[in-house]
Amino acid sequence: MTALRAPFTIPALRQAVFCVIGVVSAVAILAAPALVPALGALVLWATGGTSRQLAPAVAPLFLVLFPLTVALLVVLAAPIGRAAGNVHRRLAYRLLGVRVDAPPPRPSNRIGALVADGPGWRAVGYGLLKVPLAVPQGYGAFCYLFGVVDLSYPLWWPLFRNHPPGTRLGPVWALTPFGPLGARTFAGTFLISAAGLAMLLVAPWLMRAGTAADLAAMRWLLGPRRLAERVRELQASRARAIDDAATMMRRLERDLHDGAQVRLATLAMNLGMATEKLGAEGPPPDLAQARELVALAHRGAKEALVDLRDLVRGIHPPVLDNGLGDALATLATGSAVPVGTTVDLPERPAPAIETIAYFCAAELLANATKHSRASRVDLGVAGSGERLRLTVVDDGVGGADPEGPGLTGLTRRIAVVDGRMRVHSPAGGPTRVEIDLPTHA
Amino acid sequence: MRVVIAEDAAMMREGLVRLLTDRGFEVCAAVADAETLRSAVAAFEPDVAVVDIRMPPTHTDEGLRAAIDVRRDHPGVGVLVFSQYVETRYATRLLADRPTGVGYLLKDRVADVADFVDALTRVASGGTALDPEVVGHLMRAGRDTVGLASLTAREREVLSLMAEGRSNAGIAAALVITPGVVEKHVANIFAKLGLPPSEGDNRRVLAVLRHLGT
Repeated sequence: MTALRAPFTIPALRQAVFCVIGVVSAVAILAAPALVPALGALVLWATGGTSRQLAPAVAPLFLVLFPLTVALLVVLAAPIGRAAGNVHRRLAYRLLGVRVDAPPPRPSNRIGALVADGPGWRAVGYGLLKVPLAVPQGYGAFCYLFGVVDLSYPLWWPLFRNHPPGTRLGPVWALTPFGPLGARTFAGTFLISAAGLAMLLVAPWLMRAGTAADLAAMRWLLGPRRLAERVRELQASRARAIDDAATMMRRLERDLHDGAQVRLATLAMNLGMATEKLGAEGPPPDLAQARELVALAHRGAKEALVDLRDLVRGIHPPVLDNGLGDALATLATGSAVPVGTTVDLPERPAPAIETIAYFCAAELLANATKHSRASRVDLGVAGSGERLRLTVVDDGVGGADPEGPGLTGLTRRIAVVDGRMRVHSPAGGPTRVEIDLPTHA
Repeated sequence: MRVVIAEDAAMMREGLVRLLTDRGFEVCAAVADAETLRSAVAAFEPDVAVVDIRMPPTHTDEGLRAAIDVRRDHPGVGVLVFSQYVETRYATRLLADRPTGVGYLLKDRVADVADFVDALTRVASGGTALDPEVVGHLMRAGRDTVGLASLTAREREVLSLMAEGRSNAGIAAALVITPGVVEKHVANIFAKLGLPPSEGDNRRVLAVLRHLGT
């Protein structure tokens, strides 16, 4: 029964759509290699190479332009592969309900990174594999579509074959995988109809085989890197996390040593001196100096408190306990540049993520204040499901360098939780930095 | 008494200058790094130098290294190393060649002005001043040895104060007992630890520190 029902289910229909798109993509991919000679011909034609009188400049020009075209294709292959891979992953999710995780993003948009983009080239590999994969898919889709058509032949027969008796007509042809089948009589259409039914029953299995192979290829070539690479990546990010923690502890020690500790030692010294000036009993031997020393100590105590408060805030801002919204609002009020904040979080992210997002926002805000000459900064946090996006936009002069020490520091920090950062900062501004974090590390 | 101060935190440096000037010391120079300290000591040949351990440029132990150099190159200059934390290893390095005219104190000690000035004077005149913290470490490290285990609580207190570099009179004042009682305790301690009786505070400190394993 299941086998009989299989062709008439929604999944079968979706599979058919997937298979048809697969065939179209395969044809497009097959056409792509033709692009190189076509572009070459175009160049030749544009430079006048096809005219009878060859201009003396044509040959060298062609020699330069043709390799350039090939080089362009090499540079563009990986990004195009990535884009096409994205489309196919989305199709797999929409039509087949199978989620294939996205590969890690390209580290940067420089030419070197474009060409050396491993996931991009693997996506190109998927594109090439798509051609043989499309064969069973196309076969399945063909059986499915023409199965329906062939099955319905007896219905159409009376509509078109109502000529007066004795009229001689050619046979009606139907397409089957075994070649065209002709029918001259109403009874003959039932043979076609039977063939159609057989095709329809076989089609879901063919399509299933085609899509299953395709999905395996997607997981292999379009998914995140292979396990070994992922392990290397995790090792690197773990090493960075340990380094960062050690650096932070060292910085903390230094800050305490040079800040609060010195202030408190000096304060104790001043109080010690003041105590001596006040004497053990009786009238103080040097009241004026004692007063001065106490005043000094008082000031020192207040400074030590400020130092400690700044330090504590640097470790973990207490307001963060109330959530990212309050913390960012506090951060905004403390900024020299006007800051607008919008926080849209359906639920609270993990505390570690909140802390990372907060410090990223603080750092980016400090950058904007220091370097961008911005007159306004907008901080935005939006959450959707498992991801959280922090956006910092300023109207300053732009030119922020994603490879600079500040931003690479942030990248390192967020990489620990598989976060990603995108920087758009053309010279002249504005600057837009987006940071993508998981809501739970 | 003439003093050179090396301390990189300006606040602390100024406070020390004020305190020592107030107490009748002559502050020849107050510098902020180890290199300037070396030249200041060479230029002024003070009675004592107060040296912070962590100073620019590396903020690690340049003060300690400068202190060791000063002790080697200028045997007449007492060196009081002054730090926000004490490391037994640093004390060992500092006391390595001879435990005379040397001190190692926590910065906190400056809060008790009289004690601090007393320690500085002791170091300037060739004595020793070891921070109670360092002595405490040493005592704890050696607590299981036969000698230390056989001491009474009072004797251990006396031993600690001896190791800090105090004289009998100083110990008597600290424990509020008579110098005669202190002498008796000291004799007992030397007998129990099997140390040869030594005359003079310095040789006594040396003996005690040797015993404690410095």
